Amino acid sequence: MANTLSLYRTVKRLGIPDERIILMLADDMACNARNNYPAQVFNNENHQLNLYGDNVEVDYRGYEVTVENFLRVLTGRHESAVPRSKRLLSDEGSHILLYMTGHGGDEFLKFQDSEELQSHDLADAVKQMKEKHRFKELLIMVDTCQAATLFSQLQSPGVLAIGSSMKGENSYSHHLDSDVGVSVVDRFTFYTLAFFEKLNMYSNASLNSLFNSYNPSLLMSTAYYRMDLYQRPLSEVPVTNFFGSVMKTIHTDSAYTGFSAEPKIKVPYVLEDNEADRMMLEREAEEDKIYSQDKKVGSCSFHAWLRHFQERLEDENADTLVKYGFGTMILLLAASTWLSL
Amino acid sequence: MAEDSGAALNPCPPSAAAADGDSTRRTARPGTKRLLLTLSVLLSFLSGLPFLLKSTEIYRSPLPFRSIDSLSSRLQSDHPTLPCRFQAVLLRPDADRFLADRLGSLISEDLVKRTSNDPVSGGCGKNFSVSVTIDSGAGCVRSSVGAGDACLWRCGVADFSGLGGGDEDVDELLDSALREGSECLGSGGGRVYTVVVIERDVAGEGVQVVVGKHRHAWLVGKVSEPEAVSMIGKIFVEIFMNGGKKAGEIGKAEFMPVGADGSVVLSFSLLNADPSDWVYNWEFQKIEKIMLAPVVEALAPIANITVESQLIGRFYTILQSHLFLIGTRNWVNSNEWHLDTSITAAGQSKVLQFVVYVPSARECPLVLQLPDGETSKTNGFISPMWGGIVVWNPPMCSKDSQRTYLAKNIISTQELQKIFQVFIGQLRLLFGLRSNYLDATEMGISRFLNSERGFTEWELDLLYRHHTCFNLLSCATTLESLSKLVQSLPRMIIMDEIGKQVKFSLEAASLALRNASLGIYDASAVSARKARALAEDAFFHPSIMSISYSSIEHYFAIYMPFFAPVSLHVLLAAIKELKRYKRERAKYLTSADQARAAS
Repeated sequence: MANTLSLYRTVKRLGIPDERIILMLADDMACNARNNYPAQVFNNENHQLNLYGDNVEVDYRGYEVTVENFLRVLTGRHESAVPRSKRLLSDEGSHILLYMTGHGGDEFLKFQDSEELQSHDLADAVKQMKEKHRFKELLIMVDTCQAATLFSQLQSPGVLAIGSSMKGENSYSHHLDSDVGVSVVDRFTFYTLAFFEKLNMYSNASLNSLFNSYNPSLLMSTAYYRMDLYQRPLSEVPVTNFFGSVMKTIHTDSAYTGFSAEPKIKVPYVLEDNEADRMMLEREAEEDKIYSQDKKVGSCSFHAWLRHFQERLEDENADTLVKYGFGTMILLLAASTWLSL
Repeated sequence: MAEDSGAALNPCPPSAAAADGDSTRRTARPGTKRLLLTLSVLLSFLSGLPFLLKSTEIYRSPLPFRSIDSLSSRLQSDHPTLPCRFQAVLLRPDADRFLADRLGSLISEDLVKRTSNDPVSGGCGKNFSVSVTIDSGAGCVRSSVGAGDACLWRCGVADFSGLGGGDEDVDELLDSALREGSECLGSGGGRVYTVVVIERDVAGEGVQVVVGKHRHAWLVGKVSEPEAVSMIGKIFVEIFMNGGKKAGEIGKAEFMPVGADGSVVLSFSLLNADPSDWVYNWEFQKIEKIMLAPVVEALAPIANITVESQLIGRFYTILQSHLFLIGTRNWVNSNEWHLDTSITAAGQSKVLQFVVYVPSARECPLVLQLPDGETSKTNGFISPMWGGIVVWNPPMCSKDSQRTYLAKNIISTQELQKIFQVFIGQLRLLFGLRSNYLDATEMGISRFLNSERGFTEWELDLLYRHHTCFNLLSCATTLESLSKLVQSLPRMIIMDEIGKQVKFSLEAASLALRNASLGIYDASAVSARKARALAEDAFFHPSIMSISYSSIEHYFAIYMPFFAPVSLHVLLAAIKELKRYKRERAKYLTSADQARAAS
């Protein structure tokens, strides 16, 4: 949890606003009964910075962090009632940073000790995102054991991925905080944060320098990155493309001066109500059914009976059908048992 | 004899065989009870199988895959272009038929030359017709193209004798003359765009070219023929077809800020940087009624626009000095601006932020400096697909004025109007047009008239055309992705709602294509928007989550442990009984033959 919160603070410091960050935390540590420092989360044993203090907006916490919700965020398939802050509101020009950390293994990442996110599910979600133009470039950072296997199935162009360890390797934590009793930050995240400490939102360090800053002997694993799907050379991509917020601007050269003081009042013409049209889908179902039953019936009695039977089958739901079936089977069995006695 | 009857009473093969000492014969008919029993169990299993399959069937609403494929291939191969009609009207003393025809063909050639590169989707494409009319007051001739078309210039209607008024008056005059024509759609060739050439001696200024706010432009002055042809061609292509931008720039997705559900929320915010210095308020509703309502109505066919406003007073520290630069054309958004607080915006709609920034006393006056060193006249800039910002320096800014702290200051109506004029300009930029045409001299146009709806009619036509095309292409690709996805997951439930949405989307798309080919821009824009919204609804339906649906192996894995062992036993038993019955029957038949042979 400290991993994610530290990186959250870093990207906020580099300029990304909360409305563009989706933070999913299992959030079981800060208020855990065994936490000696309630409602405080540290990423260093010197306890200098309380990551959970203020200005933290968690979008999905606790039981809401499931593989299904994660894939819904990526693909955009939410229920209509889900608020905007929980949706990924990206478009075809967006650069997205996806950072995942926790326990993982060969081609999977563990969610909440009970579920797994498989690498092919992730690849599928990214493929659908690309088809719907939900991103221009995507950077996936994974800090788990055997992290590089999680993005081994990716095929979509414009995706760059880096994992903290390769297949068969573990990722290690950086140090243990004996006061709290757990390790507070992992090595890969620690060195990533150290790289960003030196930067501010105006610097133009490239991704190449970030990736080259990982030292395998310090990490005790090999940070592997995959750039075959990414077109631009890494030395030309500033890290603020993904970790900071940079927007393209166009100057407004002049105002539009067509307006008079008093408007001419015009009666607006009535447009068809598109919303109501879409909501009326349910009622259409009734009319369709009636129409299909108006078709002319054939004269053959067998066909008529068959059609009647089919209609009965379609009208009734599966439960009554199964009940009929079971009844028939039991009758048959009873009859045959009686015969054998 | 006794043994035989004993064997008949007790048809037990071992004893009969033992009694006979011969295991290949029996004297009694083999019993059928066991066989019938096992066969009945087997048959009841088999008769239950269809019920099992039916009850575990996946409900998939049938999607019209073929129609989707045909729509998308039709749109990919042949980008929808909407037809336009151009007419040039010359008001000169002598009306010459041959001149009209010649001019018509020259102008057509010029247009073809100018649009020779790939047709822009949403432009008029190659689908235009040019006609020339020469009206000399006394008589009137038309070129052969367009003769008989009721939508073109009606001869003798306009009276230019009193032509001394300003450009707006000329515009209205021409509009009244052409109003019939531009409203009528006639033979279905799209809207009619007109250039009127008024040959008159203009004292000293050369040729005056003015583009009106309806669908016409006019030239006043004496021009030679090739000059006139080139000017007319330039107006038709560069202005009426492409809106003053290079071909293809307007159709880019970056300048289509309409959400997937066809709606946009314009969110206006007034930010007071330091409330301890001053807090400004505005009368938003009044200015909205005057300036925003006409714009919202004008853009209604392409987007369902809602407007909201908010007032924010917080302490910001983003700007350090009193001049800020857009040096690298990139600007870093401060994460302190909590702007996206809209409660009415649904998940799929697009929000455009329009921010008025009132700087604090330390920063003020805050002036925008452009990369070339000039200061900006509007003090504002946009970010495509995000919105726009205007920095307004309050009048209390200058150091020598008495600064009295008032609880609430109101931005005066004139200042607010100026700010909103910049906002309208920014809205035009966000939609891909130019904010204003003040420096249009490089195009050779003297003046562009502005409309009080924020967009002139020819600009609106342009937007309708581009949005129609964009929405249709987007709808087709979405439906194609959906059909690919559905076909790749054979065991995914497809709800009825998705089927209906796809059906209605295809209907709306075909209606849009039909309207587009007839040249009805606004109806086709509406249908295209609806088609795209329905397609997006179908694609983003929350039930399409591949992780929830199991594969066929999963299905087998669930049902196999129930049925496989039992059915195996039943089958084996049936086979065994059948074999036994056949064997016994064979034995019985041979012994019966022997008995008959013996007797």
